[in-house]
Amino acid sequence: MIQTFTQTIIKKFKADPFFWLLFPLLLYIVVIAIYPLFFSFRISLFDYRLTDPNQTQTFVGLENYIRAFKDPTVLISLENTLIYVAGTVTVELLLGLGLALLFSPETKLAQFVRSFLLIPMALPPLVVGLIWKSLYNADFGVIPYYLKQLGLDVGRGPLGELSTAMPAVMLIDVWQWTPLLMIIFLAGLKSLPQEPYEAAYVDGSSRWQSFIYLTLPLMKPTFLIAFLLRTVQSFKVFDTIYATTAGGPGQVTTVLNYHIYTVGLTFFDMGYASALANILLVMVTVLSIVYILVMTRRQL
Amino acid sequence: MYKKRSILEKTILIILSLLAIAFFLIPIYWLLTTSLKFGRDSFAIPPTWLFFDATLKNFTGVLAQSKTFMYIKNSIIITSGTTFLSLILGVPAGYAIARSKFRFVKNSAYFFLLLLMLPPVAMLIPFYLIMRDLSLIGTYMSLILLNTVFDAAFVVWMMRSYFADVPLEMEEAALVDGASHFSAFIKVALPLSVPGIIASALYTIIYSWNDFLFALMLTSPTTKTIPLGILASFSSVEISWGKMAVMSIFAIIPAVLISLFLNRYFVQGLTAGATKG
Repeated sequence: MIQTFTQTIIKKFKADPFFWLLFPLLLYIVVIAIYPLFFSFRISLFDYRLTDPNQTQTFVGLENYIRAFKDPTVLISLENTLIYVAGTVTVELLLGLGLALLFSPETKLAQFVRSFLLIPMALPPLVVGLIWKSLYNADFGVIPYYLKQLGLDVGRGPLGELSTAMPAVMLIDVWQWTPLLMIIFLAGLKSLPQEPYEAAYVDGSSRWQSFIYLTLPLMKPTFLIAFLLRTVQSFKVFDTIYATTAGGPGQVTTVLNYHIYTVGLTFFDMGYASALANILLVMVTVLSIVYILVMTRRQL
Repeated sequence: MYKKRSILEKTILIILSLLAIAFFLIPIYWLLTTSLKFGRDSFAIPPTWLFFDATLKNFTGVLAQSKTFMYIKNSIIITSGTTFLSLILGVPAGYAIARSKFRFVKNSAYFFLLLLMLPPVAMLIPFYLIMRDLSLIGTYMSLILLNTVFDAAFVVWMMRSYFADVPLEMEEAALVDGASHFSAFIKVALPLSVPGIIASALYTIIYSWNDFLFALMLTSPTTKTIPLGILASFSSVEISWGKMAVMSIFAIIPAVLISLFLNRYFVQGLTAGATKG
């Protein structure tokens, strides 16, 4: 098999002068990324705990996967992940479109403000988590202080209460990533054709009517791309949860990513963690393929 | 072209803009002021927004610790290593994808895009085990290698769309004059695509500088990066928000500089990832 593989490679080299500019990266990815993924699949079929002094690896077949479907935390974290992704993406799409419309004029002032709005998404998510953790702090945080002024009972702070911890964590995501959607929508708005607007204006349509009947339908592809992009990214959330709630209180903010991290990299139950990681991998891959298909279809 | 907005509409728009600006900038302002406050003031109720005793005590305290410089040094080494490796591997690959006529090479772009979207934790677990078997945990190498997977994949995607917009004629002229494809790439295409390379580099700088999860698992006490240094200011005996804020400021410097002064390139990187097919 290796021989045929080598032959294919040689053939590619001869046929395409560009192939060998691509080859180093391809080789790198196979060694550093694809091989570990196969390794991960192998490990997921074993009972392998790093905490075990003998480091024994016992073959258990699909038992880790069966365990995943019976693990109540998996179900809870899956549900939390879906709530988190659906909530943050919806709010970010709406606010992002609003921001884009608000700051779309090409004035010096709007450009100036826009450059400041870029800052949140460039910040380390860990730092963002810590800033909000201090803002949310029940004893001295700014947010509970003003909520108390309004006469609301904040209890153990927004991050400490079962009912508010998830929305509080989601707000952090909204804060950090809405500007990205603003940027994407601004690019979308800028690429809209002018003619339909001129025609509509001649026909006497108001600004509001052109927005509803022209801008929104014309922006549909951009909307779809932004939706899928943020959905895929939102599945990756880890740092802010680590910094703020560590999955608590109880398990209300334990997302799938965080659960995998806990199982694998704090309990060192590697076989089971790999099985969970592979399940997440399949889910995200399917989503990503949908995203890629939509994006390529748009080009045709 | 439309009739002028009424005063009421204008006021509403201005209020909405101010609210948006406040929402997005207050947390950053809060971080900056916390770094300048005495411990007692950062806990003050009611909160002090504008008038408080400013001090550089937190800065001098943090800078007096030799560990601070170690964190900064480690972050710089890992970020520059990742950026260098990602560009060396990613830029030629992006060029190949943009210019090749072969399906296999062209479509590999989507493979890299897919790679970009994989959940980092799924990659980290097996990578951690492999690095552990090779006794490479705690080396700069391990972190640079893993960061480069994601960053190089982005560079390819970005550079592919950039090279596609670079006109072919000059390269063709070079080829007619007897240059090889490689020297046409180095001498003609590369100089024309410097802005794209800058945009890719900024993106890799931000992402490897901000990385936390990989650094959490793959560093040892001597190779810890700034984000881990920030957490360390918590685990000591007293929780010092002031010191945490100072460390955080080191962590956000690249992000702020790039957003404010190089935003043209940064925006290009963000939209290339999302909208160009």
